Amino acid sequence: MSSQGGLLKAAIALSLIALLVSLAAIALLYSQIGALEAKINTLNGKISELESKVGALEQRVGELGKPAPTPQPQEQVELVVIGPWSGKSAEYFSKVIQEFEKKYPNIKIKYLTKRAEDLAQILPVQFESGLTPADVIITPWAWFIVKMAQKGYVEDVSSYVKEDEYIGGVVNNVKWDGKIWGAPFTMWLKPGFWYRKSFFKKHGLQEPQTWDEFVALLKKIKQIPGIKNPIVTGDGVGWPESDITEHFLITFGGPQLQYDLISCKKKFTDPEVEAIFKEKLVPLIKEGYFSEPMEWTSAVERWWAGEYALYFMGTWIAGRVQDPTDIDFFPLPGCKAVVGGTDYAFIPKFTKHKEAAIIFLKYIATEGQAVHVSGPAGKIPTWKGVSVDVIWTPMKSVYNKIKERNMKIVPDLDDTVGGDWQTLFWDQLKLLWVQPDQVDSVLQTLTEQHPACKG
Amino acid sequence: MPFREKRYFLFFTLPAYILIAIFVITPIIGTVIISFETKNGFGLDNYVKVITETSPEKALVYLRRMPRPPPWGAMIHNFIWIAIHLPLSILLGLVLAYLLRSVRGSSIVKSIMFLGMVVPMIVGGLLIRFMYDEFIGIFPRLFALLGFKGILAKDWLIYPQTALFALILGAVWLWTGFNLTVFAAALESVPTSTIEAAMIDGANSWQIFSRIVVPQLKPAIIIAVIMTVLWDLKIFDIVYVSTFGGPGGASNVLALVMYLYFARALDYGRSAAVSIILALLTLIPGIWFIREVRKSEKG
Amino acid sequence: MRRVSLTGLLTNAVVWALAVVWALPVVGLLMVSVRPFSEVVVHGWWTPYGHFTLNNYVEVLFDPAYAFLQGYLNSFIVTIPSTIIPILLAAMAAYGFSHFSFPIKNYLFLTLLLIMAVPQQMVVIPLYFMLRNAHLINTFLGLILIHSSWGLAWITFFMHNFFKMLPREIEEAAMVDGAGYFTIFFTIVLRLSMPALLSASVIQFTWVWSDFFFALMFLISPDKYVVTQKVAYIRGEYHIDWGLLSAGSVLTMLVPLLLYAFLQKYFIRGMVGWTVKG
Repeated sequence: MSSQGGLLKAAIALSLIALLVSLAAIALLYSQIGALEAKINTLNGKISELESKVGALEQRVGELGKPAPTPQPQEQVELVVIGPWSGKSAEYFSKVIQEFEKKYPNIKIKYLTKRAEDLAQILPVQFESGLTPADVIITPWAWFIVKMAQKGYVEDVSSYVKEDEYIGGVVNNVKWDGKIWGAPFTMWLKPGFWYRKSFFKKHGLQEPQTWDEFVALLKKIKQIPGIKNPIVTGDGVGWPESDITEHFLITFGGPQLQYDLISCKKKFTDPEVEAIFKEKLVPLIKEGYFSEPMEWTSAVERWWAGEYALYFMGTWIAGRVQDPTDIDFFPLPGCKAVVGGTDYAFIPKFTKHKEAAIIFLKYIATEGQAVHVSGPAGKIPTWKGVSVDVIWTPMKSVYNKIKERNMKIVPDLDDTVGGDWQTLFWDQLKLLWVQPDQVDSVLQTLTEQHPACKG
Repeated sequence: MPFREKRYFLFFTLPAYILIAIFVITPIIGTVIISFETKNGFGLDNYVKVITETSPEKALVYLRRMPRPPPWGAMIHNFIWIAIHLPLSILLGLVLAYLLRSVRGSSIVKSIMFLGMVVPMIVGGLLIRFMYDEFIGIFPRLFALLGFKGILAKDWLIYPQTALFALILGAVWLWTGFNLTVFAAALESVPTSTIEAAMIDGANSWQIFSRIVVPQLKPAIIIAVIMTVLWDLKIFDIVYVSTFGGPGGASNVLALVMYLYFARALDYGRSAAVSIILALLTLIPGIWFIREVRKSEKG
Repeated sequence: MRRVSLTGLLTNAVVWALAVVWALPVVGLLMVSVRPFSEVVVHGWWTPYGHFTLNNYVEVLFDPAYAFLQGYLNSFIVTIPSTIIPILLAAMAAYGFSHFSFPIKNYLFLTLLLIMAVPQQMVVIPLYFMLRNAHLINTFLGLILIHSSWGLAWITFFMHNFFKMLPREIEEAAMVDGAGYFTIFFTIVLRLSMPALLSASVIQFTWVWSDFFFALMFLISPDKYVVTQKVAYIRGEYHIDWGLLSAGSVLTMLVPLLLYAFLQKYFIRGMVGWTVKG
């Protein structure tokens, strides 16, 4: 018996030793690599030092004759900022960061890309344990910020964001309990059907002024050889279809309908809404005027190559085509509003650099917007303080066209409702596109599951 | 005949079980607790809500539409997934492992089949998406060339009739490499002399395959079946990237429902409840496996 | 024995045709990584003409915004111990299961099976708190321990099956010679099971290497990102650069694929050694 007990002890001891040995091995490996890392880091440090010197020089040149800079934090701080942009879009945002760092040399910004989807997975868990991966987080999901605020994870920014300085309704999306929880950044628009000017010119096509002209245009395009469908339907996991649908709803139901659908004052099964689906949208799908849904970035390429004539997409498309001066758009005739989506910045409660984070938040909510919209990001400002003159030229024409037509800006329906209803909405519309006969069951499902309709 | 010494059992298994206890079992217990947590104390609330959910996007069983095309509910989809994917990928892996013995450049073929296993998940889903693209995808092009006009010549992922089945075929592409690897490694432990002896006795390849190879590979086959069933039950990434369970919930699966509760509804209780249901489902292959193990130990 | 039969030729043809079909999606991926996306998507990736460039690879590897080299390094730091630790411990456990009796053995085995079934997504919340309390959040060590523990269950399974097939005569002979279980396991059994150990290693390595979810949850700062995280962040909210994404994917796939192609020889070598001894 005693030998058995001894062996048991030995077993435990051995297992612990095995663990320790493996840990030691890892630690050894880690320290080796740590040394290498340190070397790389110093190299990187030198490069960034050089860069900052060049930056400072530039700044001095730029500041000749300018007023004295704004108050600075006393010590050098590094802020981590998370945003949704990668690739080219991240480059456009890094312009904003550069300008900010010039203005506040004591704050260094480290930018990381994380999609809203990924953030929703990691943030709630990290917040719950009192940690945050970043000091300022920028996301297009206003509903997510509100939800985090309700759990007490978000810093109240009411005193830094003045609602009346922003275009109508934008701040409202991040309000809860009478307080403001996020600061609006720039906005993309989903203004209508994009086309290539050269394509329209070649085939003698014109922007439609009435619904009948629109249908006639589609009919005409369909007969052009080489055209697969008049309108290409981009598909992420359903979202571009939702943008088209919202555009139809706003055109024929008026801008107020968008708000009513969000709050469930009107249901999707309402006769008015049903009529828009059944008399306008569904017949076009049945006629084959829309393509079947396809991956939205390849849709850009195929539309550009002339396999399709029209593409309903957000303004960021301007930054994705080879020649942004060759594109233009038209909304559905009679449309009085355009859907706009805003990226919002918020500060998690758990930041260690609250002061600096507030400075950055204030900057991107105001002056930073001017920097962002002046580049090819395909954005317009939400802050009224930005002069129209600074907007990137292709976007300026978008902006003017919307102004000319006196179109209002309304929030994105599914981004505002959010949660899992958003994915349901996308998914049901994807179904509608391939099985337009199922329109009744689609509208029924959307009503049944709508969180505001459930009460 | 197992050795008798109980203490040696502990000696050999304890190190593994210590790690498992800390990093696997403890968090599982945590999950079970979360799944029973409700607003007012503990209860079955989350389970009831999850099972009775009627949204086509989150329903576990959605028989409203039977016998029309999917959605039939996430759990049913998982079962269909197993019913098609399991026999296809096991048979394909088994036959290939056997045939590869007499194929030139077999190691290259094995590496190619293994490709599906090494594709990062986000890319795997995207590859499947492109595989079924109407214009540059493989399957629609193939069927168009054969003269088909309907759905088969179009993007398979966007129709409720085909989306689920298209994803299952994509999963065969991703997963067969695993089964092949397991079978090929196990086949190498079948002595060549046994097979040669059978050939001299005049057995044809089919007889050798079914009477010698398959019985010899039985333990490997069991392992492959279990892993495949588990993979099918947990299937998530490729659905998430390529269809997000659509259109209209037609390709939805349990893990995606769990994810929707977790990352979209931010409802951890219900998310945990779905994952516990998922884990309980695995008891079915689990019990079968235990019985197999017992049988072989007795025999 | 050497007869080139019609069926033999046919088998070769069928298997190779299948292999070609199997490779097509990845060939497409390769083409996207070396050609402009607009060309590939409009004209199809099978067209041999057009533009070819390696710019995407250069950018992904050396541009500090993507920093794949760093990601590679991190992936190795995580993956290698996460393969070796569970393989060793699981082989021991499997030996215990296959060679010794114990009262609740079958139930312990059932636990292993249940563990394999638990979806990763759900345990992260409790796991996160545990790691935080142990100050292992955002460390490679924490991730390694998690990967190791989660690999143990299936490898134990896998090895258990293999050990059952091993002939007992060698071990029994060694026992007669006076060797203890410890010696038998480490000097005889492990050596005999090389093919199975390598087979399990390559699969475990591949899984850990291609894991995204655990890394996403537990490695927070960007200098610790593993290679799959790097791939994921090529994709932003409004922008997907397919060229970069596919180049990143090819680079990510390369390591496990090379390992697999390379280790195949060892499978066979291990097998040859075994038949000679047997």
